[in-house]
Amino acid sequence: MDYNVLAELLAATVRVAAPLIFVALGAVLSESAGTFAVGVEGMMLMGAFSGAVLTFVTKSWAFGLLGSAMSGAALALIVAIATARFRTDHMVTGLSVNILALGLTSYLLRGLFGGKTPVINLPTLDAIQIPWLCNLPLIGRALFEQSLLTYAAFFLVIPMHLFLKKTQTGLMLRAVGENPAAAFSAGTDPIRVRAVAIIVCGAFAGLGGAVLSLQELGTFTDGMTNGRGFIALAAVIIGRWQPLFVMLGCLLFGAASALAFNLQGWSLPISSYVIQMTPYLLALAVLCGIGRRARMPAAIGRSFTRN
Amino acid sequence: MPSLAPLPSGPGPSGQVPTTSRGAAFRGLFSAAIAVLLAFAIAGILILVSGKNPFVAYWALLRGAFGSTDSVTFALNKSTPYILAGVGVAICFRARVINIGSEGQIAVGGVAASWIALNVPDLPSAVLVPLATIGGALAGAAWASIAALMRLKRGVHEVLGTLLSNFVGVLLVSEVLHGSMGEPGAGFPQSPLFPQGAWLQPLFEGSDLHAGILLAVLAVVACHLLLWHTPLGFRIRLLGSSDRAAAYAGVSVARTVLSVMLLAGALSGIAGAVEVLGVHFRLIQGFSQGFGFNAVAVALLAALNPVAVLPAGLFFGFLEAGALAMQREVGVQSSLVYVIQGLTMVFVLCALAINSKQQRV
Repeated sequence: MDYNVLAELLAATVRVAAPLIFVALGAVLSESAGTFAVGVEGMMLMGAFSGAVLTFVTKSWAFGLLGSAMSGAALALIVAIATARFRTDHMVTGLSVNILALGLTSYLLRGLFGGKTPVINLPTLDAIQIPWLCNLPLIGRALFEQSLLTYAAFFLVIPMHLFLKKTQTGLMLRAVGENPAAAFSAGTDPIRVRAVAIIVCGAFAGLGGAVLSLQELGTFTDGMTNGRGFIALAAVIIGRWQPLFVMLGCLLFGAASALAFNLQGWSLPISSYVIQMTPYLLALAVLCGIGRRARMPAAIGRSFTRN
Repeated sequence: MPSLAPLPSGPGPSGQVPTTSRGAAFRGLFSAAIAVLLAFAIAGILILVSGKNPFVAYWALLRGAFGSTDSVTFALNKSTPYILAGVGVAICFRARVINIGSEGQIAVGGVAASWIALNVPDLPSAVLVPLATIGGALAGAAWASIAALMRLKRGVHEVLGTLLSNFVGVLLVSEVLHGSMGEPGAGFPQSPLFPQGAWLQPLFEGSDLHAGILLAVLAVVACHLLLWHTPLGFRIRLLGSSDRAAAYAGVSVARTVLSVMLLAGALSGIAGAVEVLGVHFRLIQGFSQGFGFNAVAVALLAALNPVAVLPAGLFFGFLEAGALAMQREVGVQSSLVYVIQGLTMVFVLCALAINSKQQRV
């Protein structure tokens, strides 16, 4: 593999990992507080949709990003009410909002524009070069010549780590995920903490969707997230709910996708569909490899009742 | 393991015939109806947003579903895979195995059935059709067993195992269609038309209604008997109600999990076979699109009761058939159906939770 190809692969790895990191960080919040985050796929799709449509209509990136965070959070609100308040099953509730998001985005895309699919073609965000550093050999382009949201994704990892590990609120959140009854007797309301965690998770996932629609593709198509939310969930398990390791998990899947994408241009004797399976197969293989060593937040998936 | 908390209360540990009270059944039906109505009401607002009259749209939907013999036939054929896959999912959920892999299982079932139909075309129809269907069932079961084994051997949660294998299964269809099983020069990824002998015959002369719906009814009855009148059914229900009780009674978790996954996989595989042999007469890319979610939705709408899967599956089939007509006649996008389905699911889940709370008090 020659040098330029490798540098390009590394840059693509980081680029593809960025939306996954947003989604995965959100999922870490939700799952650390005890709620499985299966709905992130739908929240991501909502974010991708709102980001693209709002930027298209208002011509403003700021509105687009705000809209994607809010729409992701709005879908998460449904999950929060259902799981925290009514104590519905987390997995199935997540699946339901995923299909809801698929329908809603596909319907509104046409419904809002008089029955026809509008041609959304947005200029994607330019890469920002960090002077000098971007000329570093091999890693220069991967680390110091990326778009704004990619930098943002990676910078968010550290505050998220500090929040969960070093702050009172983060500790409380994890306590709710480990032992809600104990947290309750210490004066925390687990239902409220979980609800807030889910909603913030939705905002993160929505931003992840915006990265996809605004920064990578500059458009929105039906169901464009195509399982990326689930891949992010696998990254969360691989990273054992620790933001820094979760980021590495996302990079792993980024590398798999980048490699898969790159391989398609090499006219190898493997069909492109087999190559497209790579990220999913990799996720399954890694999950199997981790096996039972993955220790989940103890009370994840379990509803809390006050008695 | 997450608990699928708000399940309808089954019979006691004595393992006798179901003793669900008439009141509980009525409440279940009532909440399902309310959930559906609420979902339609909210979707109606969306129709208003896009500048159409919801009543006109829903009238078109209703006519599209029930308006003529042809539309009813179409809807019944649409319901068939939902019922087949849904009843398998219901059995899985009963044992608290959250299998959402129907989509992948349907896809590989369709591939296997198509392979048989295309490779031994000279067999008489009475042999070929059952053979292809059984092939689909075996392929679906084998596919499901992967996720089951990953859970049992490696502790991978079956939700992620089945979800991720769905993507692989669907890509497998594309792969074979662009390789050995594709029709050259078709312009769309599809296989050549199956020989007539492999077609699932219509139930009536001159109708499109194929025999799959009979298989679906059969599957529902069989799963009902299995769940309530066999030792395996008892183990499934015991595992579903409490891990500890199941362990105390000496129920093997591994064997039960594997059994329900194989059963659901086989049923989904049959659904895939029926879809290619009875509807398309060929394998086409994306034929299993959305079936997996619908199977889960149908199972839950039926409150995991095998017999109730039948009306729930019919509801979904007729809803989708009607929505296509609604799009044709009124110009309201049929993707609205996903909104209705998603909302219905959320409301049903909440209603089940409320009901189970009331029962506890």
